[in-house]
Order: sequence, then C-alpha cells, then structure tokens
Amino acid sequence: MTVLILTVPEDVTADLVVAALHERAVPVVRLDPAGLPGEVSMSAEYISGDVHGFLSVQGRLVSMNSLRSVWIRRPGTPGADATRRSEQPEWLTTEAERALYGALRCVPAPWMNHPGAAEQARYKPWQLFAAHRAGFAVPATLITTFPQAARKFAEQHPELVVKSVSGTHPGNPPMVLPTTVVPPDPDFSSVSAGPTLLQEYVRKTADIRLTCVGVRQFAAAKKAGPDQVDGRFGSPEDAQWYPVEPPARIARAVRDYMDEAGLAYGAFDFAEDCDGTWWFLECNQSGQFGFVELATGQPITAAIADWLARDGT
Amino acid sequence: MRAFALFHARPTTPDAFTTLYTYDCAQQLNVLPDGRPVISDPVMLLATGSTTSTAGSKTHFDD
Ligand SMILES: Nc1ncnc2c1ncn2[C@@H]1O[C@H](COP(=O)(O)OP(=O)(O)O)[C@@H](O)[C@H]1O
Ligand SMILES: [Mg+2]
Repeated sequence: MTVLILTVPEDVTADLVVAALHERAVPVVRLDPAGLPGEVSMSAEYISGDVHGFLSVQGRLVSMNSLRSVWIRRPGTPGADATRRSEQPEWLTTEAERALYGALRCVPAPWMNHPGAAEQARYKPWQLFAAHRAGFAVPATLITTFPQAARKFAEQHPELVVKSVSGTHPGNPPMVLPTTVVPPDPDFSSVSAGPTLLQEYVRKTADIRLTCVGVRQFAAAKKAGPDQVDGRFGSPEDAQWYPVEPPARIARAVRDYMDEAGLAYGAFDFAEDCDGTWWFLECNQSGQFGFVELATGQPITAAIADWLARDGT
Repeated sequence: MRAFALFHARPTTPDAFTTLYTYDCAQQLNVLPDGRPVISDPVMLLATGSTTSTAGSKTHFDD
C-alpha cells in the first residue's frame, strides 16, 4: 500500500516526510498535479460501480486502489505545466483538476486533508465561527465594506489590527501584507474598496503555534516584543520557538475544532496575553511545521509519517 | 480606489534560495549540488525559508 503525496517539487518540508516514510519502508509516490498532463499521467475507469484508476509519474506507477493514504501538501495547479503550451489553458486546468481530484475522491484511503474539508477550512470567517463553537477565546472581528461600520468598531475597540481576509498576499506586483496595527484616527473611506478584516489587537506576551496531527498536538511558543504585531516580522532577535504544553481546555477545543472541520492536520495560531489566555487567530489547514520542528525538536514529521503510514482505516 | 488593507502592504523580494537545490525524481527528494539531500542539512533547511511560515512565495500559501 502506497502513500500518495501531492506537492510541488521544491517543497523541502515534504522531503522530511518522504524520508521518514522511506525509513519506515513505506512505498511513496510523490507528484505535482501541475504535471498533469505531461510528466504525470492518469487513467480511471468507471464501470459498474467500480473505479479502477492509476497514476504514473516519471516511471512510477500506482493503482489508486492500492493507496494507503493521500497527503495534500503544496500541490501545484493541475495542468499548469501543459497550459503554457496549450490552447484554452483555463479550460484545460479545470479538466485536469476534475479528472485527478475526481478520481481520487473515489478512493477509500484517508486524506490529510480531504479537499472538501480543506476548502471550507481555508475560509477565515468560517474559522472564527467554528473557533467560537469549539470554545476558544476569539478576538472581536469585523469584516466589512462599510466605512461607517469600521468607524463604529474602532470606537468600541480602540486598538485594532488589519489583515487579509484570505491569508493570501497580493501577487501582482508581489507584496506582503503583515498583520498591522491600525494607526489612530484612520481614514476608513477605502474600506468600501474591498472587504476589510479588522480585529481587536491582542497585547500578547507570546505567539503560539499548535500543530495538530490526527490526535497528537504539538504546541510551541515564541516570546513577543512589547509592541509587536505579526510574529513573522520583526520579532526580537533572540526570540526562539520553544515547546509548551497546551492547557487542557485548549487541547479539548482543538479536538472539537478538528472534528467539526473534518481535518486530520491543522496548524493553529494563537496570541497569548499576560493572563495566559490563548486567543485563537486562525487554523491553517496545511500550515508549515518544519520551522517549529527544527527549532523545538518536536517530532511532527514522524507524527505525520505515522499517520500516513498506518494500516486499515 | 485602493482597498484599506493595501495601504499596509509592502513590496517583497522573491525567494533567492530555491535555486540552490534540485528535485531528484529517483529519491523523490531535493538534493544539494553535491548530491546530499537538502534535509540532511538543517542549517540550510532553515536558511531556505521554505520550511517557515513566512508570507509571500509559492510554497507559502496555507501558512
Ligand atoms: N488580533 C491580533 N493581535 C495581535 N497579533 C495578531 C493578531 N492577529 C494576528 N496577529 C499576529 O499576526 C500573525 C499573522 O496573523 P494571522 O491571523 O495568523 O493571519 P495570516 O497568517 O493569515 O496572515 C499572527 O501569527 C500573529 O503574530
Ligand atoms: Mg497565520
């Protein structure tokens, strides 16, 4: 039984898991959907209720019925390689996406994460809703195109941050959009030019990253500077990730959130305040884990490999 | 009209490190110019930033 990994070739984080599966003598096929058609080929036959399919990449052939599990890490866009040379590139992308993921959705193997669950889990507004239900503390948040609503929110919550709704960053031209404190007396008129996410600023003592793999949880903290906002930018020179134990009610809320979301993997961001409260910021359904593992030694790679390699279910 | 959040965006520099290694189909791993797997070199791994939750490149969505 083979583990299928969908990711771009340059994804060295996936390398960690590939090597861990090699160590466990578990067969792996790694491919990038961008290579279909071309480097990647597929065929699936839908006859009398049975689906027989296979995938092939650079001389490796795998039957879809012999898949042990599927890990979606950082897959390229299906058809991306071929569309450079093709007529009707957008159509071809859709065709390749439907053919590949459509066939894989018929496979009984467990997913990390199922594309349907992943799709829903990417919506930050849904995350905030689900986080409330799971019992996390969630900072007050407004997503609006009404300047007046933004002004009112700013009166109620004098310290605000702004960040992207999607968690993505503008690509044309390439920009980064760190979570940023809204300066005093802002001009909110441009809120009408795009849905704007405003959130109560959490005066934090540390950023927390909790990586959940199946039922296993690995939490790590990094001290924050006094006025620091986005933990990925400008944290104190000496700030390092170190392992911490999640409080029992957080561990429980993580389990509930994962169940509600139907996720096998999730990387949660929290801000810890001086009372020790962990404020839920987001859950990245395929969040990075290499940086935490390298800093803390927490065996996240091994946990993922074990989850992907387990037999049955 | 520029969206409110875009007033807080800033230009980014593309990843310079990804060209230092190449994908080896036989091992299904990325290797350094001397043939060693990239993951055998934790310092290199951290330096590439590819394992990090840092916004703005191809492998960094879903941070
Ligand atoms: N309300 C907040 N108060 C304090 N810091 C925040 C807040 N929201 C986000 N941050 C900081 O900014 C980082 C990025 O924000 P996050 O909500 O994770 O969005 P994304 O990663 O999608 O840009 C967080 O990891 C945290 O360090
Ligand atoms: Mg985040």
